[in-house]
Amino acid sequence: MTPFDTHPAGVFPAGLQDRKIMPSPLEIIGARKAFRTPEGGTMTALDGISLRLASAEFVTLLGPSGCGKTTLLRTISGFETLDAGDVLIDGTAVTQMPAHRRPVNTVFQRYALFGHMSVARNVGYALEIAGRDKREIRMRVGEMLELVGLTGMEKRSIAQLSGGQQQRVALARALAGKPKLLLLDEPLSALDKNLRQKMQQELKALQRELGIGFIFVTHDQEEALTMSDRIAVLAHGRIQQIGAPAELYQTPANLFTADFLGESNLLPVTLDGSAAQLADGQGFAAVRPAGKATLLLRPEVLSATAPERPGLSFTGVIRETYYTGTDHQVSLETGTFGTIRALLRTGNALPGIGSTLTLHAPAEGLHLIDEVAP
Amino acid sequence: MILRRLLSLYGLLFFVFVYAPILLVVIYSFNANTLNMMIWDGFTLDWYRQIFGLETSLAESATYVDSTDQLWGAVRTSLIVALSTSVFSTVFGTALALAVARYRFRLARFYRTLMMLPMIMPDIVLGIALLIFFITIGMNLSMLTIIVGQSTFLISYVFVTVSARLAEFDTSVEEASADLGATPAQTFRKVTLPGIAPGILGGWLLAFIISMDDLVITYFIAGTGNTTLPIHIWGLLRRGIKPEINAIATLMLLFTLLIAAIGLYFRSRRQK
Repeated sequence: MTPFDTHPAGVFPAGLQDRKIMPSPLEIIGARKAFRTPEGGTMTALDGISLRLASAEFVTLLGPSGCGKTTLLRTISGFETLDAGDVLIDGTAVTQMPAHRRPVNTVFQRYALFGHMSVARNVGYALEIAGRDKREIRMRVGEMLELVGLTGMEKRSIAQLSGGQQQRVALARALAGKPKLLLLDEPLSALDKNLRQKMQQELKALQRELGIGFIFVTHDQEEALTMSDRIAVLAHGRIQQIGAPAELYQTPANLFTADFLGESNLLPVTLDGSAAQLADGQGFAAVRPAGKATLLLRPEVLSATAPERPGLSFTGVIRETYYTGTDHQVSLETGTFGTIRALLRTGNALPGIGSTLTLHAPAEGLHLIDEVAP
Repeated sequence: MILRRLLSLYGLLFFVFVYAPILLVVIYSFNANTLNMMIWDGFTLDWYRQIFGLETSLAESATYVDSTDQLWGAVRTSLIVALSTSVFSTVFGTALALAVARYRFRLARFYRTLMMLPMIMPDIVLGIALLIFFITIGMNLSMLTIIVGQSTFLISYVFVTVSARLAEFDTSVEEASADLGATPAQTFRKVTLPGIAPGILGGWLLAFIISMDDLVITYFIAGTGNTTLPIHIWGLLRRGIKPEINAIATLMLLFTLLIAAIGLYFRSRRQK
């Protein structure tokens, strides 16, 4: 019986037949989960989430705390059961399968290493449980430790390792059993910044090398942008938007994504069907239904030099500037739009605080969102 | 400055007060004076020789006559009781602690309080209650009633010790184990049990020592044929205090310290 036979016809969207032939590493269909709160109410953690990995992708679940991303991860690993919906791994429904029988492994937030076992026994745990012979386990443990750069540390106890090394052991342990999917629950949050950036690159390289799907949970947007093939932005138990990092950053579909990923200036506009008009009368071409919308201006789109092609310009008084090395972060106080934040390359001289400055935005840097900012 | 000195003095006096009587028992157990143990009359091992049934130069009036066989019979009973009771209460106390810690169910807090209760219950009350219970259900007083009776309150001690360990046990390692393919039984054996082992061992040793030492409750439910060591000593004392008792007390003290030392050794080994 295939997992699809358990459902009445018409439940799944079109293209279902293809899935049987080319199973996706992970597919979540209409996942719902509510928790009882101590006060007696209910809290909806997952409000109808569907997600499909096209291939062995690196997908990040990004969102603020309480958005449901950890719950979603735990329904994949099997530590939470869904109220409704299905989880399929490699085309097989695992919705009712207990955690220990699912072909996925997890790197836990605080590593959850076995303190009473050596590094080698930690890494070889999945194989030991599977009843593999000792020689095979020893070889695989050696390979895994080499993979994460801990060669020769088999005999160490967990307490003798630094935080970064423990992280690597947790990674090696989760990969040793050759999972079909690796789940990572904010694994880098306990590391300091330099180590975190190094691990981000290593994880991405590792995912490419192993060719298995990675589901990475984080609340750190920078981390998500750096590592992911695709990012799913979660809020209030729903996927707000899913797409490639550049797509989400440059052309967010809604205000939440625009605001959560990076810095943003959000300006209200009025649409008349062929053009958009800002509050100060400036306009630009926009073929969209008439009504109200929001213009997204990323700080780095703005520049102090006038572009060759016409765009928008904003004049105001410089309130604050921060020097970051490569850029100046500028807060420009405009009358009509309030404070506009801009990121200007440091090549050009910048007028001091209090002086008047005009910033230009080229037409191709403008993105409209069909929502009205509060 | 004066206050600090007074405090040091107080501290010193405190320890003298607590430990001097115990130290005296040990010293008296080597005193050759057969009439007045408070007057030092030279070193002797006769009291120990008497306990072990060896030849001594002691006059018959100075000792508890023909007590040796009864004494060792009592030691044997005590050891059997303590071993059975401690194993029994460790298994059940641990199971209870796990259940209360892991499962969310109504009245969980009530059960927790209920488990603490036997520890503060007056021994006399517990002893009478157990006696009446055994008589009511028609059980003859025997070694079995001692084991069952002692277990009723020793489970509480194990429960508390193991619960304390469970409270600081990070359950995410159990999830990690399940995540890596271990069945609940494998997880329990390979991860949970080693994690709470110091608590279980501590609870077991505690139950063992308390069982060896219990007089009041055991006195009620022992019946005639089954004399434990504390009951036997109590019987001897009713025939007057003779120096021999010091040697018995010293050996009991030594035995208890040995068990405590074993417990501490395993605890420190685990924490390394």
